[in-house]
Amino acid sequence: MIVCVAVVGHQSFTEADDALKLHHIVHCSLDVVDERVNNPKKSGPLNESFLGLLCPPENYKVYGYLTNTKVKFILVTTDLDVRDADMRNFFRRFHSAYVDAVSNPFHVPAKKITSRTFAERVSTIVKSLG
Amino acid sequence: MGREVSESCVDSLLTEIVSTYCNGFYANKPELAARRIEAIGYQVGHQLSERYTMERPRFSDHLEAIKFICKDFWSELFKKQIDNLKTNHRGTFVLQDNRFRWLARMSVDPSSENSSSPQDPSTMAENKAAQAVGMHLYFPCGIIRGALSNLGIPCAVSADISNLPACDRNNITKRNFDPCLVAPLTAHCELS
Amino acid sequence: MAPVAPRSGDAIFASVERVNAELFTLTYGAIVRQLLTDLEEVEEVNKQLDQMGYNIGIRLIDEFLAKSNVSRCVDFKETAEVIAKVGFKMFLGVTASVTNWDADGMSCSLILEDNPLVDFVELPDTCQGLYYCNILSGVIRGALEMVSMKTEVTWVRDMLRGDDAFELQVKLLKQVSEEYPYKDDEYSEV
Repeated sequence: MIVCVAVVGHQSFTEADDALKLHHIVHCSLDVVDERVNNPKKSGPLNESFLGLLCPPENYKVYGYLTNTKVKFILVTTDLDVRDADMRNFFRRFHSAYVDAVSNPFHVPAKKITSRTFAERVSTIVKSLG
Repeated sequence: MGREVSESCVDSLLTEIVSTYCNGFYANKPELAARRIEAIGYQVGHQLSERYTMERPRFSDHLEAIKFICKDFWSELFKKQIDNLKTNHRGTFVLQDNRFRWLARMSVDPSSENSSSPQDPSTMAENKAAQAVGMHLYFPCGIIRGALSNLGIPCAVSADISNLPACDRNNITKRNFDPCLVAPLTAHCELS
Repeated sequence: MAPVAPRSGDAIFASVERVNAELFTLTYGAIVRQLLTDLEEVEEVNKQLDQMGYNIGIRLIDEFLAKSNVSRCVDFKETAEVIAKVGFKMFLGVTASVTNWDADGMSCSLILEDNPLVDFVELPDTCQGLYYCNILSGVIRGALEMVSMKTEVTWVRDMLRGDDAFELQVKLLKQVSEEYPYKDDEYSEV
């Protein structure tokens, strides 16, 4: 089950079940993202947005994604048997919802996304992954 | 292919932005008008860069991002690329579009600027026209700055139109649907 | 005889220069947001958007008449149909429908279910009195005034306020005859 999805960058959006603990996990994984991005050997030659699995599996699996506009998406799931393809698909759809949300003229960069449509779309995408 | 609208819609909005801010709110404060127009462009550039980079790998350096603005980004907006990109290798990039559409269809209509002051009318009209053209440049400058800053490249962008070709009055009155002015645009991006 | 007004704007839309609607949508959104910052009062923003639309309408009418081959001497009923089917299509790429005619044919509604102005837009709670698309009512009012129809255009339904469509009521106030306003014999040599 996906327990947390976070947008970190100019703005923050977090949808999580167990806020405090997950906040910590997200926070730690951001360092992993930075480390990967600043080290081309680890991020691979393609500069893909999808960064794959960030942390070694314990109770959770943490996946990351970095947009061209330096916004990080972090996903935390308790499902230890996830396929990369599903994660890629998830982030692609999530990214698209994110882009539409920040295209709202009333969205202020660096502020939290308040869009109801975005929250609904994210919830649909999360549910579709089970 | 995504949704499209007539080019007149965008042209109309640009004309109205400039006239609202320059002739209305800030008629005597061109710097304030310029700042507002630039801010509108900035928001648009910021949002468009988010949309247009969605399907592409991350840029590995500034040059790659600037090339993206010159090619893909410009093509989305104007159906053509920037014609010439130069750099002084000290943080300044010069983008040149030899046929910039927004100036091509711009309305410079000195007759509507009916100034009652008894100064030399031809100079007045010329100044007004030059100022109006200048005001139209703040929007595209804002777009470029908004896009680059969202891609992690904060910068200052200014523009000038070199050699605005003379265009005869008869053509200008028909400008609504027949572009007659094809103006080169030069944008200077100074990375901060 | 003037040519018959086209029933649809599809062919005209296909032939005009078109641009990416995102640029238009986001530019309009940025204008509205900037006006809200500068004018502060939502009511003032409504007025300004209407005024901008009016200015656009009085200019766009020439392009519309030239490209659509619509003759100037149509009655209000036909005019409304032409705006909905040809006008909206030719500029915005969408079609509106005309309903709710009153008994004497002086007022009707233009219904728009698909509106490129509002893609991605969600009104914040602080802007509930905002007629986000008010530029459209100004455009219609301005354009009709140039063909001698004085109208009043008001919003009845607005999808951004939770309605199921956009509905603009267009009321004909006065139809000015198309005479040249100054008669020659009123002037004499000086």
